[in-house]
Amino acid sequence: MKKRLISTLLVGTMTLSLAACGGGSSSGSGNGGSSSGGGSSASAGNENTLTVYAWDPAFNIPAIQAAADAYKADVNPDFVLDIREQSQSSDVETAIKTAASAGKYDTLPDIVLFQDHWIQQYISDYPDAWQDVNDVDINWDDFSAEKLDYSTIDGVHYGIPVDGGTVITAYRVDLLEEAGYTIDDLTGISWEEFIEIGKAVKEKTGKYLMCMDGDGNDLVYLMLQAEGVSQFKDGKPYITENETLKEVVQTIVDMSKAGVLLLTNNWSDYTDKAIQGDQVAGVMNGNWIIPTIQKVEANSGKWEITSMPTLKGGKEGYASNGGSSLYITANCKNVELAKDFLAYTFGGGEGAKATYDNALKNGGVVSTYAPAGESEVYNQGVAYFNNTPIYADIVEMGTHVQIIEQSPYHYTCRTQLAAAIVNVINGSDLETELKNAEDQLNFAMGN
Amino acid sequence: MNKKKGMDLLQKQSRAGWIFLAPATLMIAVMNFWPMISAFFTSLKTGSSANMQWAEPIFYNYARMFADKLFQRSIINTFLYLAIQVPIMLVLAILLAQLLNNKDLKLKGFFRTCVFLPCATALVSYSLIFKSLFATEGLINTILVNLHILSENYNFLGNPASAKAVIIIALIWRWTGYNMVFYLAGLQNIEYSVYEAAKIDGANGWETFWGITVPLLKPTIIMTFIMSINGTLQLFDESVNLTNGGPANSTITMSHYIYNNTFGTSVANFGYATAMAFVVFIMVGVLAFINLKVGDTRD
Repeated sequence: MKKRLISTLLVGTMTLSLAACGGGSSSGSGNGGSSSGGGSSASAGNENTLTVYAWDPAFNIPAIQAAADAYKADVNPDFVLDIREQSQSSDVETAIKTAASAGKYDTLPDIVLFQDHWIQQYISDYPDAWQDVNDVDINWDDFSAEKLDYSTIDGVHYGIPVDGGTVITAYRVDLLEEAGYTIDDLTGISWEEFIEIGKAVKEKTGKYLMCMDGDGNDLVYLMLQAEGVSQFKDGKPYITENETLKEVVQTIVDMSKAGVLLLTNNWSDYTDKAIQGDQVAGVMNGNWIIPTIQKVEANSGKWEITSMPTLKGGKEGYASNGGSSLYITANCKNVELAKDFLAYTFGGGEGAKATYDNALKNGGVVSTYAPAGESEVYNQGVAYFNNTPIYADIVEMGTHVQIIEQSPYHYTCRTQLAAAIVNVINGSDLETELKNAEDQLNFAMGN
Repeated sequence: MNKKKGMDLLQKQSRAGWIFLAPATLMIAVMNFWPMISAFFTSLKTGSSANMQWAEPIFYNYARMFADKLFQRSIINTFLYLAIQVPIMLVLAILLAQLLNNKDLKLKGFFRTCVFLPCATALVSYSLIFKSLFATEGLINTILVNLHILSENYNFLGNPASAKAVIIIALIWRWTGYNMVFYLAGLQNIEYSVYEAAKIDGANGWETFWGITVPLLKPTIIMTFIMSINGTLQLFDESVNLTNGGPANSTITMSHYIYNNTFGTSVANFGYATAMAFVVFIMVGVLAFINLKVGDTRD
């Protein structure tokens, strides 16, 4: 009898302890800031401390650190900004997605850095996860209108811009020279002329004049934006009836077939093999690609930047791709501090100059805040780019980018069009493939 | 007449049995069955994951699959892997097991370890290794070009057919040794005297293999078949890490597509994703059932 009692007790304790383990994880985060057993609550809950998620220690983290330093030095010496590094931008997206799906926002930090192309979807899907910044004292006109278009939903401002995605087209001037061209020959040209020059460069130097990740192909979006056309119209896909888009896709296919465009299998092939592996004489993407180009020290002084070609030519093309902004989450208890901090630094307050200058110096982050471009730091020549003041150029180019319709389905559309392009290059019919892409996109959007 | 007072021995045993079973049953119910039921309800809902609504009509997500070309392609891809990879792998495994079961073979342990070793590598790392092996500038290309089999570097992962082939080769490399171990264990349960008897009766190697080894290994073969079918239908890591479903979704698997619909690159659509997961579950169930019926020799 005794034995049985003991064994029953043993089984009982085991069940209890297991049950406690199972429940532990949920109750730990349930109490929010006060329990914080395993640091599950990311919000600071301290009156001088804010937490923020960001992901690139070589790029946006130094920029945010610059803002924190400026605020601490001038406004509040007790201010602490706890920057929690995420391994990639999608970690922030997953954090929002899981917190909102579970309805437990206390796992979120006070502020998150969030990618522009994703934010519209996340605000429409998870409206309760955010706090708007509409009443913050910021002169919004100082920012590029195109940039603000992402973080503004129904006229309400949700985000404070950090880095812009203004597109640069960078060329190796030494290779162009070898083929008998200068960078001015590639400014304000049409894509047709671009292909001709590209063929000459390929013949003389063996390098591609353009490259892109063929799996996450941004070219369609960039080339369309330079024309002022979107892939969406009134919230619906605008593909098969979009003559400009057809022309753009055809141009991409022609470039690839002519050996002018290198489409890699994935992103790391694009950055590591194509760009850093010295296979290309030209790169076109958001200006955040610059640190990638600069990693090849041997090519210092050989690169220069300019605007994009366009379909018709005769004018310069401007676009924007990527970039991110800071957003206050639902979990922020100290909203006033967060708003004041953001307005004072990235928002164009008195700390803006220190913030943006150091963000550029330490992280290469180029803002879309127009007055920042007037700072001397922006106007210095950059040795890697043949001593041209590329950062001032980028801010200037950013002001020309046209606003086009954005959609929460940006990346779904990109995936479908990338697939269509691969298929057309492999011999499929353009019209059929675009029809498939549009059907698939409509399907994903539930139309 | 103690019967009325307490329970008889049988009842006591049965009660003890239930007490022992209770904790595990409870845990399985809470941790396994409840999520399954809950997932089924999720599959009947639509909308963003923060605010899910009952679908209208209720089986909307299931009906949606019939119009989803990408899901259909992922099914075709997965079954293509299944149809090509599983037979090749199991035949190779059984041949290797037969070879390594040879009594006179030296360094048996060493060879067995070598064949089994791929299974010790993590799925993600081996996928990444295959990705770099078959990259346009990778080792395989270098070798083939230097041997003059290829005239210039071939983009294996950039072409639909070769990308599928690479995934199948990777799968065979990874899983053959794993199945071989089951066959080895099965072979060791076959009495050597049976083979001796066959030899005395004048059977050659081929006849012994088909007459003795295969019938006696049948339960093991069925088990490896079911496991392989199950594993292939849930194929995920290779599709994500080796090709990322590309080029142009030509190598995407069902699980990868389900993942894309939740935490992957597209819009979070938990309702639709769970509905697809249930369809995969039904497919695995049906295939396993057919397998068991075909393999069952009892009357």
